[in-house]
Amino acid sequence: MAHADIDDLAALVIEPADVPGPVRRHVGACERCSATVEALSTTRGALGADPLVAPPPELRARVMAEALGPSTAAATETGTGETPPGDPVPLASRHRGGVPLWLASAAAVTALVAGLGVGRMSVGEPEAAPVEPEPTGAVLAATPLTALGSDAPRGAVEAVNASDDVVTVSVRATELGDEPGYHEVWLINVDGERMVALGILARSDNGTFEVPRRLIEDGYRIVDISVEPDDGDPTHSGVSLARGELV
Amino acid sequence: MTIIGLPARTRPRYGVAVVGGAAALEDAPEESVEALAVRFRAGHEAALGEVYDRWSSLVHSYALRALQDTQDAEDVTQHVFVAAWQGREKMTPGPHTFPAWLIGIARHKISDARAARARDVRRIEAVAAVTPSAEVVGTEDVMEPDRLVVRQAVDEMGEPRRTIMLLAFWQDLTHVDIAATTGLPLGTVKSHVRRGLTQLHHTLEEVRHGSR
Repeated sequence: MAHADIDDLAALVIEPADVPGPVRRHVGACERCSATVEALSTTRGALGADPLVAPPPELRARVMAEALGPSTAAATETGTGETPPGDPVPLASRHRGGVPLWLASAAAVTALVAGLGVGRMSVGEPEAAPVEPEPTGAVLAATPLTALGSDAPRGAVEAVNASDDVVTVSVRATELGDEPGYHEVWLINVDGERMVALGILARSDNGTFEVPRRLIEDGYRIVDISVEPDDGDPTHSGVSLARGELV
Repeated sequence: MTIIGLPARTRPRYGVAVVGGAAALEDAPEESVEALAVRFRAGHEAALGEVYDRWSSLVHSYALRALQDTQDAEDVTQHVFVAAWQGREKMTPGPHTFPAWLIGIARHKISDARAARARDVRRIEAVAAVTPSAEVVGTEDVMEPDRLVVRQAVDEMGEPRRTIMLLAFWQDLTHVDIAATTGLPLGTVKSHVRRGLTQLHHTLEEVRHGSR
């Protein structure tokens, strides 16, 4: 007899009574098939583990910071004098690093924004909470967030003047629901054709992101929060939980 | 407020098949993982984030079970991904590169953490005459990485197979009960359970092969 079908061998491990006599007799006599059955029982024995436990969200930023080093952290430096001592970053290089950043893919942007939190942590700041807006900064624009296609409130967003060419976008979302996945913040252009990823709401439903002023001026004014499955796809999932337009 | 639709994507951002729904995950995970491995090895920083997002739970769970300490498990997870990034040029991209490779690195980092613990215990011992116990140093279950890899593979299966597998092997329901619960024909349930087990068998073989 030819070798047994592997699904029959699997059945032999799961429910031997379901397996026809000839198959059982063949396996008894065939070294190769009985070895497969043994391997399948080992696999059977490896079932039953508890669900995997994700590390705390802030660990991602620590990993990115340590692996990618200070140059990446510097590329997303906030310019508020928090460059780690001994690692001065000339303004020019910071600027050069910043421009292609916004032309890069959404995923690269996300990674670099994650790096931002990191630079701060690596200089030993105990609060890893989102960057607070500049206390002296003027509120340039604000909007309530609502669910898509309804007035159901989902929090608010403020855009605060951080410096001549940087705006701090501060997101405070509420009731985003508990759909599995993580929440990512995007700026959609009012032309409906372009969008950029700002980053992930990692710690809570609040987050602060630094945005080049020219993006806002170019029409990237619609703040969008999506829920993203962990599928390795850096693009928008298409599922928006909240929207608001900075005016 | 007028709802503006999401901008349509005009071109893929990477030359990689985009993993869409659960069905796509089940049918062709290998190609995209291999492509991810190639980008990772080439030093694309975004690839590090993707690798971390997909396998940090696996590494962290392994470290947590081996060391039974939250802080140590987080430290090991961090060391593993940093070491993987720094040693990326030694990695051979393949469809099953990451689990085996990361678990291999984790094994070393866990044993470093245990060695550090044992040193601490000896230090305490010298002061207080305490005998180090296996509990403090931790014990290794050789099946543990397999169990975690299998758990992740089941969670990544398409529906209805994932639910059927969880009901059959985690809830220990009979096939008849699963058919009643899911409303699927008994024959469909049985064939999902068999193919699911076969699929996991192949995953483990490939992961083991990938670790050589």
